[in-house]
Amino acid sequence: MSGNIRGFGYLESLPPVTFRRLYQQPATALAIFRRMLPNLAKTIVTTLLYNESPVALGDLEALVRPESYREREDAFSKLRRLHIITENNLDVSLDPVFKKNFRLALTGGGDHHSFGVPCNTEDKKKITVQFLDDYATRQFEAILHYMVGTHNEVKPSKGVITLLTKGGLMERYGAGSVATITKNGFSFLLQDGNPQIWALLIQYLEMSEELGMEQTDVLHFLLMLGSLELGQAYSVNTLTETQKLMLADLRDYGVVYQRKSTSDRFYPTRLATTLTSESGGLRSASASMSSAMVKDAEEGKGFIILETNYRVYAYTDSPLQIAVLNLFVKLSTRYPNLVSGRISRRSIQEAIKMGITADQVIDYLSAHAHPQMRKSLVTLPPTVVDQIRLWQIEGERMRTTTGFLFKDFHSTQEFEEVAKYAEELGVLKWKKPSKRCMFVTRHEQIADWLKRRASAQQQQQQSKKVAT
Amino acid sequence: MPPKRKAGAAGGTTAVTTTSAATKRSRPATPAVDVDTSDEYSDDEEIENTEEGRAISKVVNAFSLDLAPKGNDVISKRDSVSYIFSKQDFSYLKMKSDHESRPLWINPESGVIVLESFSPLAGQAQDFLTTIAEPLSRPTYLHEYKLTPHSLYAAVSVGLDPNDIISVMDRLSKIPVPPKIIDFIKKCTSSYGKVKLVLKENRYFVESTDPAMLQRLLQDPVIGPLRVQGEGGSGITKEKAPQMGALVIPGTRNAAGAANVNNQQGGPAEVAVDVVEDLFNSVTGLGEDEEGEDEEDEDAVHSFEIPADDVETVQKQCLDLGYPVLEEYDFRNDRKNPNLDMDLKPQAQIRSYQEKSLSKMFGNGRAKSGIIVLPCGAGKTLVGITAACTIKKSVVVLATSSMSVVQWRQEFIKWTNINPDAIAIFTSESKEKFRGDAGIIVSTYSMVTNSRNRSHDSQKMMDFLQSREWGLLILDEVHVVPAQIFRKVVHSVATHSKLGLTATLLREDDKITDLNFLIGPKLYEANWMELAEQGHIAKVQCAEVWCPMTPEFYSEYLREPDARKKVLHYIMNPRKFQATQFLIDYHEKRGDKIIVFSDNVYALRAYALKLNKAFIYGDTPQQERLRILENFQLNDQVNTIFLSKIGDTSLDLPEATCLIQISSHYGSRRQEAQRLGRILRAKRRNDEGFNAFFYSLVSKDTAEMYYSSKRQAFLVDQGYAFKVITHLQGIEQLPGLAYATVAERKELLAEVMLQNSEAGQQEGDDFDGAKLSYNAGRKGAKYRRTTGKLSELAGGDGMAYIEYNRSRNKELKGKGQSSAFFKKMHRENEKRRKEQNALKP
Repeated sequence: MSGNIRGFGYLESLPPVTFRRLYQQPATALAIFRRMLPNLAKTIVTTLLYNESPVALGDLEALVRPESYREREDAFSKLRRLHIITENNLDVSLDPVFKKNFRLALTGGGDHHSFGVPCNTEDKKKITVQFLDDYATRQFEAILHYMVGTHNEVKPSKGVITLLTKGGLMERYGAGSVATITKNGFSFLLQDGNPQIWALLIQYLEMSEELGMEQTDVLHFLLMLGSLELGQAYSVNTLTETQKLMLADLRDYGVVYQRKSTSDRFYPTRLATTLTSESGGLRSASASMSSAMVKDAEEGKGFIILETNYRVYAYTDSPLQIAVLNLFVKLSTRYPNLVSGRISRRSIQEAIKMGITADQVIDYLSAHAHPQMRKSLVTLPPTVVDQIRLWQIEGERMRTTTGFLFKDFHSTQEFEEVAKYAEELGVLKWKKPSKRCMFVTRHEQIADWLKRRASAQQQQQQSKKVAT
Repeated sequence: MPPKRKAGAAGGTTAVTTTSAATKRSRPATPAVDVDTSDEYSDDEEIENTEEGRAISKVVNAFSLDLAPKGNDVISKRDSVSYIFSKQDFSYLKMKSDHESRPLWINPESGVIVLESFSPLAGQAQDFLTTIAEPLSRPTYLHEYKLTPHSLYAAVSVGLDPNDIISVMDRLSKIPVPPKIIDFIKKCTSSYGKVKLVLKENRYFVESTDPAMLQRLLQDPVIGPLRVQGEGGSGITKEKAPQMGALVIPGTRNAAGAANVNNQQGGPAEVAVDVVEDLFNSVTGLGEDEEGEDEEDEDAVHSFEIPADDVETVQKQCLDLGYPVLEEYDFRNDRKNPNLDMDLKPQAQIRSYQEKSLSKMFGNGRAKSGIIVLPCGAGKTLVGITAACTIKKSVVVLATSSMSVVQWRQEFIKWTNINPDAIAIFTSESKEKFRGDAGIIVSTYSMVTNSRNRSHDSQKMMDFLQSREWGLLILDEVHVVPAQIFRKVVHSVATHSKLGLTATLLREDDKITDLNFLIGPKLYEANWMELAEQGHIAKVQCAEVWCPMTPEFYSEYLREPDARKKVLHYIMNPRKFQATQFLIDYHEKRGDKIIVFSDNVYALRAYALKLNKAFIYGDTPQQERLRILENFQLNDQVNTIFLSKIGDTSLDLPEATCLIQISSHYGSRRQEAQRLGRILRAKRRNDEGFNAFFYSLVSKDTAEMYYSSKRQAFLVDQGYAFKVITHLQGIEQLPGLAYATVAERKELLAEVMLQNSEAGQQEGDDFDGAKLSYNAGRKGAKYRRTTGKLSELAGGDGMAYIEYNRSRNKELKGKGQSSAFFKKMHRENEKRRKEQNALKP
């Protein structure tokens, strides 16, 4: 659902050199393993981890059932793009740097400080987990509130505002005018909490480069945060200069807490410690925060009821949730624990004008659906869902898909093979056999496949030549 | 399963001759804040200027929440999102600590009440709320109700005490009942229902629980002198109140029981009343344990007598004083008017919701006047008949058409043991009187109200009607008749109690609010979804089919300056025609019986002729109508009929299981609900997995889309969901699809363009004054009334109309039948009819 907002996937586009440097830290290797790999890829990594000699690709592929073909391709493609595996002909082995540091991360040892150095002196003022949670919520919600345009008592700092405008989440028309939210900003708001934080941090990463900060240092630090322990104070002294600079910014986002900028200790908040946990566990930032605070509350409990008569009722008193709902619902009445309103053609079309898509609205509604609604077979009333989509289509009678055109195939046979492969991957959008061209939504895997196919053919030809 | 209406009794309705456009309409300002619920239209009609209308609006306005003094204007800026809600931010209210187990939120400003329907207390709360508030929307999870002066008036009139209302509300509410609402309830109830006009032993009494109130009335220069001095000095008598509680309940039972003496005990009516009381208690009993029995003292009522001749004067004066009078009829003690020997037959069974509605009417052993709202097909007639059987006095029934007059008479004979001679019909065709002292007269609104050009016979009938006192006046389909007509009716027939029946108490204009005072409060409104769940009415799949305009039609549609001809373009859209053809084909194959509705007569004819189906519209002669309807019901070769808006109401076709609407009356929510009602009665509704189908065909990107969403508002609030169908699967493969080629479509377009603008109009309206103008650009673009023949409207006068297809109607006729099959069918029908006639006494 990310649209134009880059999330964690952005890392995949980094050059190989950066990865080599990233993997030098055991914490980073672990974080990438935890956060970015699908389960099948994890299995492959663990298979290879203590294998000193390369393993034949065929053997690895044999681990996977033939019908899970697509998942297998996906896993390998991911590993290749993250430069975790290296391939020599048809033998596969782990990147040596990754292998070494990942082993260190798992088994401990070494003098790398990559998991942070706890402060061993007692803090004068005891910092409780509760305090950290409050702090993080306040800081992060201040950012979201600022974006939605509701005026909160806590204003985000200048740095945050620059980040938001640079990241294209907000826009300033002319100097001195008030920044307003952009299309990307709206998509950002409707995302879950974890992707939101990552989107901000990735943006920060990009900006840090402009400021002359060492990118790998920044990344190391971000990924390290995920392995820190909540409520524990960590020492500032072992950090690099770049990382010390970062602390000030991360404090603004509510990711870490530091009492004074000169203080020699910092505390990661829940936003930090959940950074690299498995994706999908957390719903919106505020929901996950509040549920985290009430210990026994189920995580991300739904609160929205959508009726067949287009009325929306939300069991909430959170200004932020109300502000987000207000993006696409015409709200009318607010009770202490309930707001009511309705979805109308106008409210949806206004949302669409702001750059929110019907699918985002529907995703948001179903992700936050009230437990009562989950009891029925279909969570959201299908007529309303259809209608929301239709309202969107009404405005745009054309649909665009960004993707890639493959053309100039050498032979019909080649075309057919690639088309078949693309279809199996589920990326084929359109093809025209008479002109031998096709349109796909993603090209990486196909390009890989074409390369390997070409080299395999070359080898075949060479071996044929040799034979002749 | 209760027995069905007799199929043969169905028929078309004749347009009632009284016009409404010219009549003055009253429009008391709607009370209370406009919640963003429904899409109310306000057309700027001239405001009512009859005296009564003014008095009524005065009373209503006096208590609207809007005008209530603003007690505590709480700080509206509470946090960063408060601005969204402006005045509707009630987050400052304190929740009760155990709010999770309570199902209500109360809006302190507008009186809207939100109910959690999944709460364990929801059942009770729902019963309570339907009594005290207007249901706004009742979908799956959260229901909305609204307190209005009218609804509180109704609550008081069924005997609820304001303190009970408040304490029950407080018990159910998640937040303490806001003081403003308490004020509002107290204010409304302080004047409503305080004064009752009771007919007891043939003497009229003004009754009240509050002696001070009576003193105040006696001080009044108009009412005071009218008091009849009793033997006692004061003139005010005190006696025990006939309120609910132990005293009354046996009374009600006795009422039914006493009449049942001839009939042995245990007649269905008695059973019905029993259950009714239980239900009633369960509603009111909620508040009772708190109040305890300490009300004994208050339960006394005080009254003074007034002469019968001055009843109306007193009523009017009370209204002027701001104390609308509730009428109650103590029919058990009425010895002047002779009893009518009539009881429900033992096999007649009353459904729970019918009992519930009647319990509201006979709650304290007396008959109250009021309106009962039940969906079409939910057995309104039986409710009326049971009410008549309970009162057992002479009854007048007024229906909308002579067809339904006949139906009413047959229903009476079917359900009760009444002597058929005691039921007389008064229509233009037949003017009978009943024999004996008491009896029933069934007539139409137009017969009773049309004062001009009355024939000698009907004048004699009117004299008969006016010369007697009646126990009960049943008003069928009250929503179709504007208040003005009712005033006439109410004034011309002397009746002790009035019962209005309707499915949709809903008009696009505000003429309905007067009914509260002219007939009585709304006593009961059923929940459609609940009845459908219980199998009393059919489950319906609703769909809106989007038909894209063909390029030729769309460009002409855009170019056409005349709004009325624009209408014709989107109705005659070839894609819509194809969709109709496809749906008819599809459903006929499934074995459905289909009704196609079109308000536009030109389109009706064009579609029906092209598809070779029978059709009925205003101009179709009575004989032909009957023949077509009979064929639709009995002949398995005739599965589809086309109806104009004359088929909207009172047409009883239990065979119909599928409904297709191709053109409709702008944004009329009522018409949509009424049309849906045509299939709710479906005979097959209790078959497992049975669904009736309701399709509304809409031409995409035209004004129709706008109207369509307005039209659905009522049904959607009742919990119906309209599925949007953008493409009918397999429509291209339909063999013989009409207008498949561009040439054919162009031909059709040319034909449509040749029509004069009158063809774009709808059939003459009967009573409905609901006009909604969409094209704001054309000032006064509301449709106008022109003189002319209906054949003009049908497109039958111009050179443009060429009959390409032979009318199916003609085939169904006796003469000139070409096919041997139809001849045979006709002969059989003839034979059957004769047999039926022979069977009749």
